[in-house]
Amino acid sequence: MEQQELSKRRTIPFKEQMHILKRILRFARPYKNEFMLAIVFSVALAITNAALPRIIQVFIDDHLTAGSVATQTILFFAGLHFSVTIVRMTVWYFELYIFNMASEKTVQNIRQQLFEQLHRLGMRFFDQTSTGWIITRATNDTEAMKDFWHVFLTIIQGVFGVVISLGAMFLLDVTVTLWILIFAPVLLLVIRFYQVYSSRTYHEMKSKLSLLNTKLAETINGMSVIQQFRQEKRLQKEFEETNASYFDSRYSMVKINALLLSPVINMLYTLAVVLILALFGFEALNSPIEVGVIYAFTSYANDFFRPLTRLMDSLSLFQDGVVSSSRILTVMDNKEFVPAQVEDDSAQITNGKIEFNNVSFSYDGQNNVLKNISFTVNPGETVALVGHTGSGKSSIINVLMRFYDFQQGEVLIDGQSIRSFPMRELRQRTGLVLQDSFLFYGTIKDNIRLMNEEISDRNIIEAARFVQADRFIEELPGRYDAKVVERGASFSSGQKQLISFASTIVRDPKILILDEATANIDTETESLIQEGLQRMRKGRTTVAIAHRLSTIRDADQILVLDKGHIIERGTHDELIARGGSYKDMYELQNIGLQT
Amino acid sequence: MGIFKRLSWFFRKEKRSYLTGIAALIIVAVLQLIPPRIIGIVVDEIQMGIITTESLVMWLAILASTAVGQYILRYSWRVRIWGNAAKLEQIVRKQLFDHFTNMDNQFFQKYRTGDLMAHATNDLRGLRMVAGGGILTMADAISVGLTTLLAMIFIVDWRLTLLAIIPLPLLALTSRVLGKKLHLRFRDAQAAFSHLNDKVQESIQGIKVIKTFGQETEDIEQFSRQTDNVVVKNKAVYKVDSLFDPAITFIMGISYFLTIFIGGTLISAEEISVGDFVTFINYIGMLVWPMFAIGRLFNIIERGSASYDRIESLLREETSIAERQGAIDRPVSGNLTFDLSNFSYPDEEGPTLSDIRFTLEAGGTLGLVGKTGAGKTTILKLLLREYDDYKGSIRYGGFDIRDYTLDALLKHVGYVPQDNYLFSDTIRENIRFADPTLDQQAVEAAAKLADIHDDILGLPNGYDTEVGERGVSLSGGQKQRISIARAILINPELMILDDSLSAVDAKTEESILSGLKDLRQGQTTIIAAHRISSVMHAEEIIVVDNGEIIERGTHQQLLQKAGWYKEMYEQQQLERAMEGGES
Repeated sequence: MEQQELSKRRTIPFKEQMHILKRILRFARPYKNEFMLAIVFSVALAITNAALPRIIQVFIDDHLTAGSVATQTILFFAGLHFSVTIVRMTVWYFELYIFNMASEKTVQNIRQQLFEQLHRLGMRFFDQTSTGWIITRATNDTEAMKDFWHVFLTIIQGVFGVVISLGAMFLLDVTVTLWILIFAPVLLLVIRFYQVYSSRTYHEMKSKLSLLNTKLAETINGMSVIQQFRQEKRLQKEFEETNASYFDSRYSMVKINALLLSPVINMLYTLAVVLILALFGFEALNSPIEVGVIYAFTSYANDFFRPLTRLMDSLSLFQDGVVSSSRILTVMDNKEFVPAQVEDDSAQITNGKIEFNNVSFSYDGQNNVLKNISFTVNPGETVALVGHTGSGKSSIINVLMRFYDFQQGEVLIDGQSIRSFPMRELRQRTGLVLQDSFLFYGTIKDNIRLMNEEISDRNIIEAARFVQADRFIEELPGRYDAKVVERGASFSSGQKQLISFASTIVRDPKILILDEATANIDTETESLIQEGLQRMRKGRTTVAIAHRLSTIRDADQILVLDKGHIIERGTHDELIARGGSYKDMYELQNIGLQT
Repeated sequence: MGIFKRLSWFFRKEKRSYLTGIAALIIVAVLQLIPPRIIGIVVDEIQMGIITTESLVMWLAILASTAVGQYILRYSWRVRIWGNAAKLEQIVRKQLFDHFTNMDNQFFQKYRTGDLMAHATNDLRGLRMVAGGGILTMADAISVGLTTLLAMIFIVDWRLTLLAIIPLPLLALTSRVLGKKLHLRFRDAQAAFSHLNDKVQESIQGIKVIKTFGQETEDIEQFSRQTDNVVVKNKAVYKVDSLFDPAITFIMGISYFLTIFIGGTLISAEEISVGDFVTFINYIGMLVWPMFAIGRLFNIIERGSASYDRIESLLREETSIAERQGAIDRPVSGNLTFDLSNFSYPDEEGPTLSDIRFTLEAGGTLGLVGKTGAGKTTILKLLLREYDDYKGSIRYGGFDIRDYTLDALLKHVGYVPQDNYLFSDTIRENIRFADPTLDQQAVEAAAKLADIHDDILGLPNGYDTEVGERGVSLSGGQKQRISIARAILINPELMILDDSLSAVDAKTEESILSGLKDLRQGQTTIIAAHRISSVMHAEEIIVVDNGEIIERGTHQQLLQKAGWYKEMYEQQQLERAMEGGES
């Protein structure tokens, strides 16, 4: 995906680039003072740079050329030069350190705000955006900001270096300096040339490298499939083609750099020296001049040209930075927020009565997936939702969990609108057990506690015991401190389910929402899970998407959904007596029993 | 320096361009001496008042031609040396890739994808640095350093030279010490960044859980702790990194101090001229880079050689699956006989499989059922020759499968794995993975049999839809069916479905199985499944538990036995009725 984005890289128009730049610079505002300080040091650095050749020039012209010099004077100039060097060294260190730290903190600020923004976004965003895409924004794109900020440092250093060395030259000799300025258009031309040729090749090289690495990673991940179908030779050949094409663009990059980067700047510098010597030399044919000035000029010319190589080199990074910035801003600008609450701080869930009155809901604002849904669940009762995929079962849960906002009707909990509860209250009192349980890296304890520090170890053990997860946990090395690797890969899906039960029950919710798993779970764990569900439901208002008979049969109410409508409702016995689609399913099940 | 010797195969191969490059480098080093000298001479001629138009024009002409000459030679060595470095990277990358494709399962269990990727990116970069920067630094440091030093001694003054260069070895030392320190701190910073990545990854993947429990604030706090840590680790980096330029300045400052003091004294005593002094100051400046580079060279070599060690140790790994000399290359056919007394995974105690014996007649169907982890997939892995080290034999058409070439066996087995891996390519390419030359018609025929054709047409770009593209999400069932189409396409002698229908609904399962039955008249099939309905029509069904066969027979026979099979069957019938055909 990354590589597709790269290959589709459009050139961002200059105006938009400036706009992006302005917006991303706002994140640096809290560190304005640091950046300013770094810039002050940058100026000081350029000044010391200009002072050093000047000291030698004065030493040559006022003393050395005048004949014998006292040791004291010599020592004075050597000492002066050394002291300025010490200042230069100190200034340089602080410039670099302060600037780097300020840019590091800016990146942290961007990351932090991006992460907070992600948590403000609703499930709609996460359902529609691939995980990989979001992760890349939060990590790689923010990391690229560091290079971006470094480009600014290079520009600041370069500009001050060029301006101050020019200024120093003006102070020494205006005519010669004006002559040297004829190199300016030449330099601009070289820079322009380099930018045009290198940016194209650079991006091509980068996208080819990313393609190469994607291919490599894919091959490693899909190795068993490749070997299974004996496609090794073909993939080797394909990879070699990509590899060679990457080499080609890398080689062109090497050529462009060799042609237009430091060698050319070096040549221009030497030609500038030719010009300086010519001007002073021809002048000297007519009248005597101070030779120290020649030294100072050649030295300033060096200061003038030297920063340009780095400046040109960092131009491509500037482009990368703008692209990363614009991606970060897309996430920051996203408005698909978590549904808003009209919070009434006194609103509390005490009994857990749920009412749906004529609720209609659509994901896209056009096609209703829930149409006029009304039902009531009394405190402590269980309602089961039955129906095919797309019938609207999951949408009811999305509405009840406030993952999505509904458009019409009202949802009441204990007689109050679901929109009036503080989010925290809603989350604390409702426990959702997800179909596929996700475990975090850490320990079993961490996964039951899930960052809520108010939950004690004792609570955790009790909760695990309650859902009978304690049996397998006790057998683990380290028990509750046993390591959980990424996504809980070392546990069976049944065990993961039990752990997530424990994390729900440890919070003692008033309302329980079950999205029951359909995954393959081995029989033994299956019975533990069923028992766990029974126990959890006791004394709690429960809304359950049911796939298994045992969860439904004793439900106080069963809602049969079809295309967003409730087509049948009642207890198991009532629905059987009624002879509708529920009964059809039930009969099917009886046939199953007889074979 | 050992790394240069170990890479000598490459240097020898590119001998010509390396020699030309280094020759150009040395000439540049000599040419570099000219400008400061000419500046010095002109300064002297002006100062002594002996300058003439002819001499000035001559010096300027020499200087200008040096500028052009340097440009051409610099271009030449850069292209050669950096070009060669890129070439070395390309060659070793190919070696690694080819090697990976020949490795067995154990290799990929030992090294995780991330590790292998790190070797193929960072270590290759380390190697490139040796072949480019390393060679360059060594040649450049030696040639520039030596010529400049000689020029200082012979053109200017040997006493001044000896005293002025006293501080310079400090440069080499500084760059070596700081470089080493920086490298360590940088590694810590990288680790902190990678922890941050893991954190983001988990938060995004587990976003629903976090929202469910309302732990957003806590999650943000955890995240800030990670970003704080990144800042702390980078602070340590900057403390050292910002030292480089100032340290050079300082050491050079001492050198300049000595130069001004001693040079001034010598001029005063009329031992050297002002022009000599100017030349000398410029020469001193030219020594900064070579001295500093020598220190850097040690670091480049150290890292490069560690990188090459890691790459070589990967390349030395051997696969346990090898073809025998004179192996049979006639495609497998006939009866498949398992006569396995014992198998355990390497590094694992106790047998994973024991006494697995069955014969699957050509054209027949075998069902394998059992709990997760019972050993079904292991049986199939042995058949696919992922492991060769077991007691007993597996025979196909009367010959041990280990006596066939891999092509003779694997090219004729269509395996549909549990975890169906699709490549980020178009759906079409994924289906015709085993033979990209097949046409659309063949692809569609396979897709129809796997009951995925209509689903594909419903995707934004049909068969051209890229897997993993933004906005395209294939369900588990759809992925499974694409994998099935991929296996059907090669019309294999033996087709293996390893729990590959678990995510499709009952109706689809039935239609796929009956389609396969029609298509594969007289061809052999093995179906491993958790769902009994997938295997109930098989000629023989084997129930595996704990690596052993606990029940076997036809569907009817097994139901009469009233064992695990019957219990499972009934339970699943119930569930299925409840779901009402839902997936």
